[in-house]
Amino acid sequence: MTLQISNISKSYPTGRSTRVVQALKNVTLSIPNGMYGLLGPNGAGKSTLMRILATLQEPDTGSIRLGDPSTGPVIDVLKQKDEVRQTLGYLPQEFGVYPKARAEDLLDYFAILKGITGRQARKEVVEALLRQTNLWDVRRQKLGGFSGGMRQRFGVAVALLGNPKLMIVDEPTAGLDPAERVRFLNLLSELGENSVVILSTHIVEDVSELCTRMAIINKGEILLEAEPLKAIDGLQSRIWRRIVEKSALAQLEREHKIISTKLLSGRTVVHIYNEEDPGNGFEPVTPDLEDVYFSTMAGHIGNRKPQVAL
Amino acid sequence: MKFHTIFRYEFRYQLSHVSTWLLFMVFLLFGFLILRMVRLEDGVYLNAPGTIAFYTVFGSVIWVVIGGLFTGDAATRDRQTRMHPLTYTLPVSKLSYQGARVLAALSLHVLIMLALYAGMLLSFYGPGAKPQLLGPFRLASYLTNFGFIALPTVLAVTAIQFLFATLSGRAIASYIASLVIILFSQFGGTTVRYALEWKVLGSLMDLLGTSIIVEMEGWTPIENNTRLILLEGTWLWNRIVWFGIAVAALLFTYIRFQLAHVTSGATWSDLLGKSKASVRPVAQTQEEASRIRNHSTSRTTIPNVTRNFVFSTYVLQTVAIGWASFKAIAGSRAGLTLVAILSIGTGLFATEYMEWFGVPLFARTQEVLRILAPPLSSYQTQWIIIPLLTIFYAGELVWREREAGLYELSDTTPVPESVLFVGKYIGLALIITTWMAFLVVAGIINQLVMDYYQFELDVYIRALLGIQLTNYLLFALLVFVIHVVVNQKYMGLLVALGAYGYILFASMLGVEHKMLVFASDTGWSYSDMSGFGPFIRPWLWFKFYWASWGLLLAVIAILFWVRSKEGGFRTRLQLAQHRFAQHQGALYTALALVLVSGGFIFYNTNILNEYTTNEAKMEMRAEYERRYGKYEHTAQPALARTQVKAELYPDEGAADLQATYYLVNRSKVAIDSIHLSIVPDLTITGFTFNRTATPVILDEELGYRIYSLQKPLAPGDSVQMSFQMRIGSRGFSNAGVDASVVSNGSHIDSDDWMPVIGYQENRRLRDERDRQTYGLASRPERPSLYDEAARFDTRHADPMDFEAVVGTSKDQIAVAPGALHRTWTEAPSSGSGQERRYFHYVTNAPISHEYAIFSARYAVREAQWIPAVTAGSDSTAKPVTIQIFHHPTHDANVERMVKSVQVSLAYYSQEFGPYPYTYFRVLERPGPGRGMHAEAMTIDYPEGYSLMKPDPGGLDLPYHIMAHEVAHQWWGFRLAPAAVEGTGLLVESFATYSAMQVVEETLGYEHLLKYLSQMRQEYEVPRSRAAPPLLRSNNRFMNYRKGPFALFALRHYIGKERVNNALRGMLKEIPAEPPLLTTLDFYRELQAVTPDSLHYLVHDLFAANTFWELKTENATAKQTPAGTWQVELDVEAWKVTVDSVGRETNIPIQDWIEIGVYAPRAEGEPSAKVLHLQKHRIRSGKQTFILNVPEQPARAGIDPNHLLIDLEMSDNVQKVDI
Repeated sequence: MTLQISNISKSYPTGRSTRVVQALKNVTLSIPNGMYGLLGPNGAGKSTLMRILATLQEPDTGSIRLGDPSTGPVIDVLKQKDEVRQTLGYLPQEFGVYPKARAEDLLDYFAILKGITGRQARKEVVEALLRQTNLWDVRRQKLGGFSGGMRQRFGVAVALLGNPKLMIVDEPTAGLDPAERVRFLNLLSELGENSVVILSTHIVEDVSELCTRMAIINKGEILLEAEPLKAIDGLQSRIWRRIVEKSALAQLEREHKIISTKLLSGRTVVHIYNEEDPGNGFEPVTPDLEDVYFSTMAGHIGNRKPQVAL
Repeated sequence: MKFHTIFRYEFRYQLSHVSTWLLFMVFLLFGFLILRMVRLEDGVYLNAPGTIAFYTVFGSVIWVVIGGLFTGDAATRDRQTRMHPLTYTLPVSKLSYQGARVLAALSLHVLIMLALYAGMLLSFYGPGAKPQLLGPFRLASYLTNFGFIALPTVLAVTAIQFLFATLSGRAIASYIASLVIILFSQFGGTTVRYALEWKVLGSLMDLLGTSIIVEMEGWTPIENNTRLILLEGTWLWNRIVWFGIAVAALLFTYIRFQLAHVTSGATWSDLLGKSKASVRPVAQTQEEASRIRNHSTSRTTIPNVTRNFVFSTYVLQTVAIGWASFKAIAGSRAGLTLVAILSIGTGLFATEYMEWFGVPLFARTQEVLRILAPPLSSYQTQWIIIPLLTIFYAGELVWREREAGLYELSDTTPVPESVLFVGKYIGLALIITTWMAFLVVAGIINQLVMDYYQFELDVYIRALLGIQLTNYLLFALLVFVIHVVVNQKYMGLLVALGAYGYILFASMLGVEHKMLVFASDTGWSYSDMSGFGPFIRPWLWFKFYWASWGLLLAVIAILFWVRSKEGGFRTRLQLAQHRFAQHQGALYTALALVLVSGGFIFYNTNILNEYTTNEAKMEMRAEYERRYGKYEHTAQPALARTQVKAELYPDEGAADLQATYYLVNRSKVAIDSIHLSIVPDLTITGFTFNRTATPVILDEELGYRIYSLQKPLAPGDSVQMSFQMRIGSRGFSNAGVDASVVSNGSHIDSDDWMPVIGYQENRRLRDERDRQTYGLASRPERPSLYDEAARFDTRHADPMDFEAVVGTSKDQIAVAPGALHRTWTEAPSSGSGQERRYFHYVTNAPISHEYAIFSARYAVREAQWIPAVTAGSDSTAKPVTIQIFHHPTHDANVERMVKSVQVSLAYYSQEFGPYPYTYFRVLERPGPGRGMHAEAMTIDYPEGYSLMKPDPGGLDLPYHIMAHEVAHQWWGFRLAPAAVEGTGLLVESFATYSAMQVVEETLGYEHLLKYLSQMRQEYEVPRSRAAPPLLRSNNRFMNYRKGPFALFALRHYIGKERVNNALRGMLKEIPAEPPLLTTLDFYRELQAVTPDSLHYLVHDLFAANTFWELKTENATAKQTPAGTWQVELDVEAWKVTVDSVGRETNIPIQDWIEIGVYAPRAEGEPSAKVLHLQKHRIRSGKQTFILNVPEQPARAGIDPNHLLIDLEMSDNVQKVDI
């Protein structure tokens, strides 16, 4: 199973005048089975891409294909929406519920919508999912009273109905507490064993913990498509650190290409990208995915690099 | 300051929406167009205060339905957009926050009403205005109506909408508030005011001002032009009450509203909308939370189920969505309850409307259905709640996922759009089906309340769950499609309301073809005699046609169905293109069905039958007059004898008629051509004459023929003319099917089918403005009483002999005028035919030109009346056979009908002369009306008459009506007066007055008083006092109420015998030659029988439109030493005459008027003992009378029997203070 995204562009009118906002520019990605992280800041176009993949929006141009030509039929995601939906699990960034409905009933209703017609099968699936998302004890409660995390888990249960081959998860960990987040990511990784799971997030840890492949997106463009470990490897001995007083920051900024700053006990930790030792009190650090992310955003690596390098 | 800022922001925010401006435009256009299209009563100006008041109320009703969404939006926008955590935490007081918003909504509403007024002004003074229809500009006309009607209404409605919306947290609740207001104010107020007769309470309930409109019916044109609606009387209290309600609603909202976190369900939405219920936060315990971590690496296996996306899966999904949708509506508070309450109320209040002039009715299913099953296009019914709720709930369903915020979950499930659409539609359909079941229950409750136990469930099911459900489902489909396609909830609501408004008012907008009004049909009715009759076939075709449209619209809706929040036009078009391939089969099928059914209907309505618009019909009448009016006074032979051979085929709904007219030249000149007026578009064939005649004009379109006779018809000479025709529908027309011949209960009326000799003056346009429009010379609606020439038109009075042979199916009885000579059956002419039964009738005395042929499976009750042979009476009087032909189960009133006919024949022949025929027949026919219709020797009545079920000891109205119709054999047939103003007095008033005598003779004077008091109630219905005098009587009220009352009053002054002498005088005066008699002759007869001292009264009653204003101010009594009682009465008396535009003239009184004193009513006595009742000379103004009576008086007053016309009857008599 492969998801092939080719040259997807999408723009929105801004409301006033004829100007448009380019939400996605010529996005091309190839996503195999397994967990795939889509990393980017808020407003980068992640959700737009996710919604297009989830059949909820139409791109202006481009094509998306799901499937492996060698093993079976290939689905044109933009045209064969019904077929996509038959293998799709989608967890939106935020969603509501019918406050009066009970968890079990609403999940059963969704099971029918997902095409699980056998009464017994449905009962088993619903029970298994409620147990797996740890909602079994509250299955007769009304959804209106659920906390954010419980609601999120209910969404996961809905998304998991029908063993999706394409799972799209849009910023799922934003509202979860640490324990729920771990639980949730575990669920996803299990699913990733034989499905395409796309996880969009602005939290670097989500990707570093889970994903075998990733892409970094900003302002509608894919800046980097890589395997996290290889990307980190690529930065070996190129990231340097120095801890300075805040007052010294301005001076440092003029002299070096700072990719990120971070506060640590009131002082500022500065990371810079440099292919050689910059001296000036900088020490080498072992890069992590965050450095990959910031280096990409700053244009040192990835698709924007040539321009910036000039 | 903050208040000001919030207000300004809110106001500007609303103004930034296109829909706001759209609403302004709608009301501006409404005000402009309606006053350009309207047609007012003669003499009333377009800009009269009364007219403006009327359209202010009309406009506010429309505004209440469609304009209420500002309030909802202002009240709930922050919560619905989930912005409230930001706004609620601002340092703004509750008062500023809410007050400013409600004020902004109110201001917008006021602007909308101002737009209506701007539209009116534009209509009056803008381009193309007609200044001749305008009165002088008067600012007060606008200010009072706006200030006292529109403004308080807007204030109260806004406050209530704000309350509903704020407390439910849902903008749409303001729409429910509007519905509740309309139900409460319109239907509640009207019910309380009229049905329960709690007038004051009912008037107070009326927020929108309909009670004013009703009252204005009684205004004269002068009042309409000058009178302003002021804050006085009940209306003042009404406005105070509603102002109080508005303030209370705002206060309550203010107190209940909290600038605080909204926990779903903590509010009031219980009462109104959906969502809420006991939703309490579910806390997972610490333990559970830790378990999450503990088990975080464990695996629960999810069973791997195979899913098949096949048809049965989609069916299951459709059912699941349908059921979920049904539960969502059924679970909301207004979903089932509003209709349920209305149904139960309608059932329980049955006694209030299942009556006619105080006489209870049998709650036969056919009658109950008239209450429960109005057409979709009727707005004068409480069941408009069904379409209005349908519009509302269709929107709720279409927006359900999006409003709950889980559309991204549901829209990505593998459910095709068609399943989503159909599933939701099924949910709504189930709701409507449930509503229809409630209506069945309403019908059964109604019948139980009315003690009627023949529940015809099959009829209910066919009418309500068949016909009505289909109509409502088609409407629901349309509304659903609108909501889907518009894809903006409130705009969808407005567009759907607009579509409903179009269905309601299409005919007023001039859209007449039924193929152009969604879900319409050519009408239907249910009758015990003829069942659903011939109406079902066209009904089915029309519904098939509209269902095809529905399918087409549904496919379009599915193509444009939006699966996410974004619904840009381009995106939707793109999606539709993608989906097209999948649905093109259905689309083309739907198109084909529309074309096939539409084609078939068009073939029927426009090709098989002529399609004529109202305008075309008017034009035809105008053209008929223009072209042939010159022949109006051309001498024509009289129709002296008609011979008919009729073959009725009830099962085919058709009949073949052959007729021969024997025409005699009764004029003094030779006649060289014969003119015939024929029903337009009726094909009559085989015109033959027994002398050479050549057609000169054959105008099929207008229905006029002229045959020139080779040899003119000399005076006294005669000619025979034969022709034949086929009666029955060719398919169906836009007006439906002709119901003359039906499977049971055929009724062929000569007026509807038979050719008439000469030019027919009564086809002309009567309304003066119509005549102007079509360029015809001015001519009064009916000839003036003083039009001498009109008295020479004798065609309606010509006697005619009649003979008929009528064949019908073997199990039916056919009836025509005349004595039955012979009846026989004939074997079928061909092998496949059925045996037929024939009847041969011949009159033994002439009848009039109007007659009818009946055929049905009748039960016959036969009786005899033998005239008493008394000295001086006509010894040749023959026994009369009385026959009542009725539907077998409609037999409750048959005996009282027989009795009434017998005593009436006896009384009238004794008082007014012999009855000329040997038969007297009464026949039932299908139809809901309750009145009877008299023709010579034959009375027919629709089934509605047989529904009357007089209480024992109560008013026996069917008896009276029967006596009235028998009296027409004298008044109407024997005395056929000139067709000029006042005819009604000589025909209808005489018949009613004669029937009153029969009732008095046989049922007693008490019963007559009961009848009179029931009839007097019609004086209480608001009615303009402007009218001509009785001698020029020109309407129903004068003919059936005022005339008989005047005769009754006169009788109490000069005696019964003298009044009857005047009536008999009229019969004696019947001339052998024209001119015919008029009310002027009757006036002379009355003067002849009345002493000179009372000539003033005859004048006041008949020659002037007189109103007395009689009042007893005070009545006191004290006992005299002799033991008698001395009564002191302070009375006041005035007399005015009112002319036909409402000008009033005070007339000094020098009248004889009764003064009465009554003892207390004893137990078990029907009436109080009269202590004093005499006519006293009364003068204008206040005066005191001192009377001595033998016993202690209880009540006393002036004109206690209401002999004189006094619109305020309740103050004539007062309790006597001791």
